[in-house]
Amino acid sequence: MERIQILKEKMLSQPRYVSIEQALIITRTYKEHENESAQMKRAYALYNALHELEIGIEPEELIVGNRTKGVRYGVVFPESGISWVDRELETISNRPQDKFLVRDEDIITFRKEILPYWKGKSLEDVLRSRAGHEIDAISKVVKINQKDHAQGHICPNVKEWLEKGPSGLQKEAQEHLNDCSDNQRDFYRSIVLVMDGVKDFMMRYHDLLIQESHVYPAHASDMKKVAAICKNLSQRPAQTFHEAVQSLWFLFVILHMESNASSFSPGRLDKTLYPYYKKDIDELRINDQEALEIIECLWLKFNQIVYLRNQNSAKYFAGFPIGFNIAVGGVDEEGNDFCNELSHLFLDAQEDLGLPQPNLSVRLHEHTNEALLRHAVRVVSKGSGMPQFFNDKAIIHEMEKLGISSKDAKDYAIVGCVELTTQGNNLGWSDAAMFNMNKVLELTLNHGRCLITNDQLGPDLGSLSTYETFEDLEVAFQKMMLYFIEKMIPCCEEVEKAHIDILPTAFLSSVIDDCMEKGIDVTRGGAHYNLSGIQMIQVANLADSLAAIKMMVYDQKRIGAKDLETALEHDFQGYEVMRQLLLNRVPKYGNDVEWVDQLGAKWAQFFRDTLRNYTNYRGGLYHSGMYTVSAHVPMGQNVGASADGRLSQTPLADGGLSAVYGRDLKGPTAVLKSVSRLNDDCTTNGGLLNMKFLPEFFKTETGIQKFCNFLRTFVDLEIPHIQFNVVRREDLLAAQKHPEQYSSLTVRVAGYTAYFTELAGDLQNEIIARTSYDNI
Amino acid sequence: MTTSNLQVFDIKRFSTHDGHGIRTTVFFKGCPLRCKWCQNPEGLLPKRQVLYMENKCIHCLSCVHTCQKHGVRFLKDKILLDRNALEDWDKIIDACPTRALQFDSSSYSVSELIQEIKKDESFFRYGGGVTISGGEPFLQPEGLLSLLSACKEEGIHTAIETSLYVDQEWIQKALPTLDQIYADCKVFDSTKHKEWTGVDNSKILENIRYLLTSDKKDQVIIRTPLIPTMTATQENIGQIAAFLSSIYPQTHYEILNYNPLAKSKYAYLDMDYCFEENPKLYSPEVMESFYRVAKENGIQNLIIE
Repeated sequence: MERIQILKEKMLSQPRYVSIEQALIITRTYKEHENESAQMKRAYALYNALHELEIGIEPEELIVGNRTKGVRYGVVFPESGISWVDRELETISNRPQDKFLVRDEDIITFRKEILPYWKGKSLEDVLRSRAGHEIDAISKVVKINQKDHAQGHICPNVKEWLEKGPSGLQKEAQEHLNDCSDNQRDFYRSIVLVMDGVKDFMMRYHDLLIQESHVYPAHASDMKKVAAICKNLSQRPAQTFHEAVQSLWFLFVILHMESNASSFSPGRLDKTLYPYYKKDIDELRINDQEALEIIECLWLKFNQIVYLRNQNSAKYFAGFPIGFNIAVGGVDEEGNDFCNELSHLFLDAQEDLGLPQPNLSVRLHEHTNEALLRHAVRVVSKGSGMPQFFNDKAIIHEMEKLGISSKDAKDYAIVGCVELTTQGNNLGWSDAAMFNMNKVLELTLNHGRCLITNDQLGPDLGSLSTYETFEDLEVAFQKMMLYFIEKMIPCCEEVEKAHIDILPTAFLSSVIDDCMEKGIDVTRGGAHYNLSGIQMIQVANLADSLAAIKMMVYDQKRIGAKDLETALEHDFQGYEVMRQLLLNRVPKYGNDVEWVDQLGAKWAQFFRDTLRNYTNYRGGLYHSGMYTVSAHVPMGQNVGASADGRLSQTPLADGGLSAVYGRDLKGPTAVLKSVSRLNDDCTTNGGLLNMKFLPEFFKTETGIQKFCNFLRTFVDLEIPHIQFNVVRREDLLAAQKHPEQYSSLTVRVAGYTAYFTELAGDLQNEIIARTSYDNI
Repeated sequence: MTTSNLQVFDIKRFSTHDGHGIRTTVFFKGCPLRCKWCQNPEGLLPKRQVLYMENKCIHCLSCVHTCQKHGVRFLKDKILLDRNALEDWDKIIDACPTRALQFDSSSYSVSELIQEIKKDESFFRYGGGVTISGGEPFLQPEGLLSLLSACKEEGIHTAIETSLYVDQEWIQKALPTLDQIYADCKVFDSTKHKEWTGVDNSKILENIRYLLTSDKKDQVIIRTPLIPTMTATQENIGQIAAFLSSIYPQTHYEILNYNPLAKSKYAYLDMDYCFEENPKLYSPEVMESFYRVAKENGIQNLIIE
């Protein structure tokens, strides 16, 4: 499809800039409405942005809209964070991760017009003054998130948005406004106001398209068609598939404009969009090829919004995981297989484009239709790492245990990377914090002192050499875990409170169930479900370290406790033989060795169970997840040498459920068996399992069939998530350089499997030469 | 070694090329053949051997310090092994922190093997099972038979990879417990067979005839590995194909491309590989020419992956 190629090339060739356009509008609006509530100030700011922000279109576009004229701009958002922007403006164009260009004049304007007003008023500054000390005190163990930006991580009620449109929602808010209490008034006013802006925003695209259609006569007819759609949507709900997709995209553009946050999730679009698609197909208004083109135009749009994070945060969430997560397949309300033509068209679009967004997820269950599974595996084999797979059998019943209705649980979707949510009614606050269990173990082994800085970070409960038995050590570890969990919860509450005070979100609240009825903003607990999710980092290293200590120090007594303490303190310098023993002579998590896996499972369970003793500020439950985005790298930088043989400040295991890279030597079935020993109630906020395969594996139909079988067992073993990376040439080159990190990498030629790193150099080169893969 | 204990040099899970579905392959140690190109040279001798992987070694000399009869020496920055030295090799190997030194195999009872195999039971449900390979599985015939029947009792699909250089009575006994049989027919000419593999092929050809006339003949796959200058000649493939199709034209026959990976294993055992200059994989075009010869000689079920 020529149109799609042109649009893709245009998009990828545009440079990324920092934009202060909306920040100027917000700042001016706040000054104009100084005496209004935060709810109204935010609504006016969004309203003005919808009116004023410069907009742009491409003549080839079938789906239009963005929150800046240029694509992939990093929007400065003063309400949430301003101090870090000031600190980092000069370095943002050459920082190591996720660079943006900055115009010199914007730096001057920012410091003159924006910064002075917001000092002390932004979420970041308010939180710092209210709880900065407490948050810093635990920062080496717990990373508290959403401190300088809005929450996001939410799946709006797309179905209702499509059925009502801005007019319908505005009408509802207006009706409530006529009959509401004083403390609800601003909430309803804010929605009424914002919806005027929304309608106007849609009309502005209509006007621009009509105007530009004279400049591009070759595209004029398509442009007029899209213009008509924008106009229709500003007046009434979507009626056709094309309208529904355009309406959906407006929804997400405006959500991003309002919140400037990561991970607004479209959810189960094969379900939500299907009635529109079916009607158009039945009435011969559209064919599959045209539907696919519209879908691919939307897919491109998902790649045009990125999110400006501070330098530190960019390390934890590297590479713009903006999180437009779309789930296909799964079960329907009765528990039967759900899958339709759109499920397949979405996979086709992913296969054609191979772009990082949307984050495409396939929900599997025991009765997943074989054609969908095979299609999904074929797309995986193309090497984009997508789709990822979720397991209804592991997820639905655990969601129900959190108090989620059976209907909602069956209809779950994914936000962000792997976080689980119900659709349209849930502020899951899924990225509340990351809890580094390995740092807790370090402090437990070392009198509460940091191995890297020697700072006293936790209570002195003893050290490895003072714990007489492994059980004594575990008792101390438990106390240390509790100490930090107790410190973490009030910090999470402070963050929630600050969001209520500073970042109410009228537009978002209008598409989250119960907010409208209750007259309560979503940040304040208006949603039907209110959860908070905390990630535990990382069970693989924890299990490996505990297993090493148990076996080498306590059971076999092959390594003295004092010696190991000293070795860890010296980052194993002068203790290489001991490190090799710890690395090679103790079984590791991920190899189907039950006692090792159970050490991880036990503490994951403890963390999860402890969290359940607390209620968040909105009155909902805390639950846990096991995933990192890229946080295993910076979180590893906080941890000194560990008993699993890991050197100080090196990365922890990736993924969340995965084994430490290179330590899973028994192959993928053993990994699944190990992971299945973790209870699914530990991952109700999401789990992440990464696996690597060589492209050869997928080259034959038999290979694809075996892969499908593998995924069937993945479902049976009730593992919540899995995703596959196809090994590329670069991986093999890296394996030649750092064989110790790649010792589990197997390669296969003509009926024979070998560990790549154990092959002689010339054979390695031969394999590398054969493993060229199209770069995407 | 008692009959119930089996010497096994590897158990590979998620083995996806040795039979249908996801399989666990158990490699039996010991082989009566001495194929010049052997892919698993550590499987040749029936007894366990010491392996040394130089690229894993950090030269900590733990082994040198542990040994008592000069079985391990450190000379000119290199670890040298005298595998025949009367050492306590268990102790030496236990001292190695990196597993650069290890035994090439371990001894398992049938029930221990069943336990290992059953670890992937949940995967076998969708097709798959156990494949017994080697070495030559029939070199430990009694253990093999009890392992196979134990697998059948557990409902596990069984496959075997064998050279068929074994007395026919063992094949007869094993056959009821085998669901799939991969057998090699490497070289048809008996003189050359003796030269390249060390044994006469008449027993092998007889056993092939036996299998291809048995009621399991459709579960048999005959394979020829292509070894440059040795098995990989048009003449050899043609003769094998003609022989097979004369017995049973529907024989499943597979021609395996040359595998250049075996070479690196030889270094671990201080052994020499048959090619100093390692040949490359055959191109699809050359493979096609071998397929053509097989078909021209009457093969109707050629397996091409």
